[in-house]
Amino acid sequence: MTEMVRKPFSFNRVLIYTVLLTAAAVYLVPLVVMLLTSFKTLGDISSGNLMALPTHWTMHAWHKAWSTACTGVSCEGVHHFFWNSFKMAIPAVLISTGIGAFNGYVFSKWRFRGSDLIFSMMLFGCFIPFQVILLPMAATLGKMGLANTTAGLVVVHVTYGVAFTTLFFRNYYVGVPDALVKAARLDGAGFFTIFFRIMLPMSVPIFMVCIIWQFTQIWNDFLFGVVFASGDSQPITVGLNNLVNTGTGVKEYNVNMAAALIAALPTLVVYVLAGKYFIRGLTAGSVKG
Amino acid sequence: MSRLELRAIRKTYGKAERETLKGIDIDINSGEFLILVGPSGCGKSTLMNAIAGLEDISQGAIVIDGTDVTTLEPRDRDIAMVFQSYALYPTMTVRENIAFGLRIRRQPKEEIDQEVQRVAKLLQIEPLLDRKPSQLSGGQQQRVAMGRALARRPKIYLFDEPLSNLDAKLRVEMRTEIKRLHRRLRTTIVYVTHDQIEAMTLADRIAVMKDGELQQLGTPKEVYETPANLFVASFIGSPAMNFIPVTVQKGDRGLHAMVKSDSGETIDLPLPLALSAYENKEIILGVRPEHITQIQAHKEGQPLVARGRLTIEVTEPTGPDVIALVNINGIPVHCRIDPDHPVDPGDVAELMFDMSKTSYFDPATEQRITL
Amino acid sequence: MSTQIGVLSVPAKRPASRVINLIQAWLPKLVLAPSLALVLVGVYGYMIWTAVLSFTNSSFMPSFRFVGFAQYARLIANDRWHTACINLVIFGVLFIGVCLALGIFLAIFLDQKIRQEGFIRTVYLYPMALSLIVTGTVWRWILNPGLGLEKLMHDWGWTSFHFDWLVRSHLSVYTLVIAAVWQSSGFVMALFLAGLRGIDPSIIKAARVDGARLPTIYLRIILPCMRPVFFSAIMILAHLSIKSFDLVKVMTAGGPGYSSDLPALFMYDMSFTRGQLGLGAASAIMMLGAILALLVPYLYSELRSKRHD
Repeated sequence: MTEMVRKPFSFNRVLIYTVLLTAAAVYLVPLVVMLLTSFKTLGDISSGNLMALPTHWTMHAWHKAWSTACTGVSCEGVHHFFWNSFKMAIPAVLISTGIGAFNGYVFSKWRFRGSDLIFSMMLFGCFIPFQVILLPMAATLGKMGLANTTAGLVVVHVTYGVAFTTLFFRNYYVGVPDALVKAARLDGAGFFTIFFRIMLPMSVPIFMVCIIWQFTQIWNDFLFGVVFASGDSQPITVGLNNLVNTGTGVKEYNVNMAAALIAALPTLVVYVLAGKYFIRGLTAGSVKG
Repeated sequence: MSRLELRAIRKTYGKAERETLKGIDIDINSGEFLILVGPSGCGKSTLMNAIAGLEDISQGAIVIDGTDVTTLEPRDRDIAMVFQSYALYPTMTVRENIAFGLRIRRQPKEEIDQEVQRVAKLLQIEPLLDRKPSQLSGGQQQRVAMGRALARRPKIYLFDEPLSNLDAKLRVEMRTEIKRLHRRLRTTIVYVTHDQIEAMTLADRIAVMKDGELQQLGTPKEVYETPANLFVASFIGSPAMNFIPVTVQKGDRGLHAMVKSDSGETIDLPLPLALSAYENKEIILGVRPEHITQIQAHKEGQPLVARGRLTIEVTEPTGPDVIALVNINGIPVHCRIDPDHPVDPGDVAELMFDMSKTSYFDPATEQRITL
Repeated sequence: MSTQIGVLSVPAKRPASRVINLIQAWLPKLVLAPSLALVLVGVYGYMIWTAVLSFTNSSFMPSFRFVGFAQYARLIANDRWHTACINLVIFGVLFIGVCLALGIFLAIFLDQKIRQEGFIRTVYLYPMALSLIVTGTVWRWILNPGLGLEKLMHDWGWTSFHFDWLVRSHLSVYTLVIAAVWQSSGFVMALFLAGLRGIDPSIIKAARVDGARLPTIYLRIILPCMRPVFFSAIMILAHLSIKSFDLVKVMTAGGPGYSSDLPALFMYDMSFTRGQLGLGAASAIMMLGAILALLVPYLYSELRSKRHD
């Protein structure tokens, strides 16, 4: 510790640390339970308890969750769903982030009469309950031949993700001095040159925030997945729900937990590796400016 | 080196009732250093942006070397600008910053390199060329910003309060540096500042603006000695010019005005005969602090010089002189006194009024009364 | 002041650059156009479309026989909708209340120059990175009446412990609150922590010099400064509760019976499994109404306070 003067041992400090660490332990319990359960046999589950270690560590539940567990009619595990989620999330994240970057650039540096109004209109898209657009969107996707396809899900996620990505970039670019754009215009640069040569190189942090935010949102989405996809285009959240709610015979909680961990893994990995940006996204997305 | 004409420039934002620029006419000669000063919100920055083409104007024309550029985009006007915040591209090195404008204009690579070298040498920033702006001090960033402007050899240079982010010492250094550069390169410069010292020291001519109108356009000496109206008189000079309302009276020895010190003593101030049209009318005397000072023997007996006994309220020694606060007609008045004539608060000092340097203003129009 | 207007010189005509300038001037608008179209259609158009549907007697397929407010009348008379709305109020109030309390509490504790603050914060926040389906799955297991928490407590010696809310019709909605609080309270903590860090430290110094103790400083000076954070946290949480769908679908599927139903689940069931499009649309519009009822006053006060600044 670099602090020169350390306050003497104090009851308050101990209390604070106790409270904080207890809370942290409580927050961690579900994750620990998930992990422990996923390595147990069904016998262990019925004989032990939530926090008991497996008597026999086994990957059986993971194998089953990945490739043979029943999710409704088919019994092929969740691996199809898992890859579906990637096929949906990657293009949706990239497209919505790209559009958001351009939009944010226009809304902050090339404002025109009415642009603020358009921005407010787009922002409203962050607030609507998506239930209000489900029925028309389903009809439209059907008409365009995109119903029950991954492409259809990408369209939906881009449509309703652009409001957020635009907000991220706009708020970031508002902080970039206008003088930079003026200087570049006097230097002879135009709309795209300024974007690609000046703005883009300084946008790495906000790209991280935006991509991580969008990836987490889209990966974790359930509503759009369950409404607009079927069979071979359903994302992992739908797969997990189907697996958990397929009620045939005895509940295999170890398989459920393994499947839940599979569904959670990508966003958890992103969170552990780039939590800083994730938290920035959370707070930026909520404290709207 | 180019001539810049601003013709009747008007600017209104949106549906706003108030005009930001109300018809600005200025001709800036080739190689001239013109400074725009005024309080914030006077329209000087808007005018600057209009010249650069960063903002459209509502009426009027901007003409560079006889070519109307009013509708041209900034990049087609051949103007460079140095910003208050420097606006260096943060992701580029100093070299890339300076070269950016040339690259956009697709100059051959060798020429760009040569130009960067020339500018770097001129501004003594050669060792910094491969650094990023964030690795530079404020003064160095300032130099790079100027380098970026110089590299393109544009027709006109615009400086938007370029020194206001520097600390006091550096600001003085850079001021000298800019002046030296201008001497050497003889470029046409339009320079916005709210710092009147900068205006006085750098400018060939000063344009004083207020509320979107040009108040006075003249050399620093003209603006200082013969301010066109009360606003210019109060804006230029520090401490500001003293304004004392008096009534012009006719006496045996010509025109004069009577003022009272706070101890009730009457001081008789002689006025020039040219004010006879204002006999028995009120005018405002504009007296600079340096013209109310200790008794100076060589001025004794001159026609427009008077003496008066005044109580010193406060003294503010600045080093080269002492600013003393007195009361005349109940109005606080600043005087500038030589520190070799020590005065202390509470003293009653005999001071000399040099009325030959005084400005006279019409209280109704607030304009200068030309003699 | 010179007011004379000079003779205008001939404007420099450069046709090529004129065209380019024109395109340049339109570029920002062109870039926005696709997004604007998406939003106009996908948000506003679809909202109107849903509103129109809610005035028709659409069942399995959309029809355009208008029946006025009949679907809304059906909705209000519908027992299940009634339960869903009451559940939403219970869920919303508890969820928001507990999240705020926990969030503020943890944020204040975490703001005491804690070693390893980053790690602890990461732990509090990781549930936000998970899908609510994952959250629901794990809590469904933890709260399992036979093998879950109850068994754990029995094994740990608390043999009288009894916990079967998940299968009790008047209690199952509270299990949703538990899972939702676990998911979101860390986020509320992060919001408040950011708010606390945004407070000018010299205010706190001033208060200490004035002789205030730490609890007083928090209660009387810091928390009042955090009004905007309170408002935005409440807005976000209320918004989350109204939209809440994933959790209830996976944890209880509205059950037992429809005792833990929520409006979002009702809307989904009516529209996509029961073939009651008109009713589903009407319930969606009611949800939108609820969000607008929250949002409009909030935005109004935001705009007003901004104007006052």
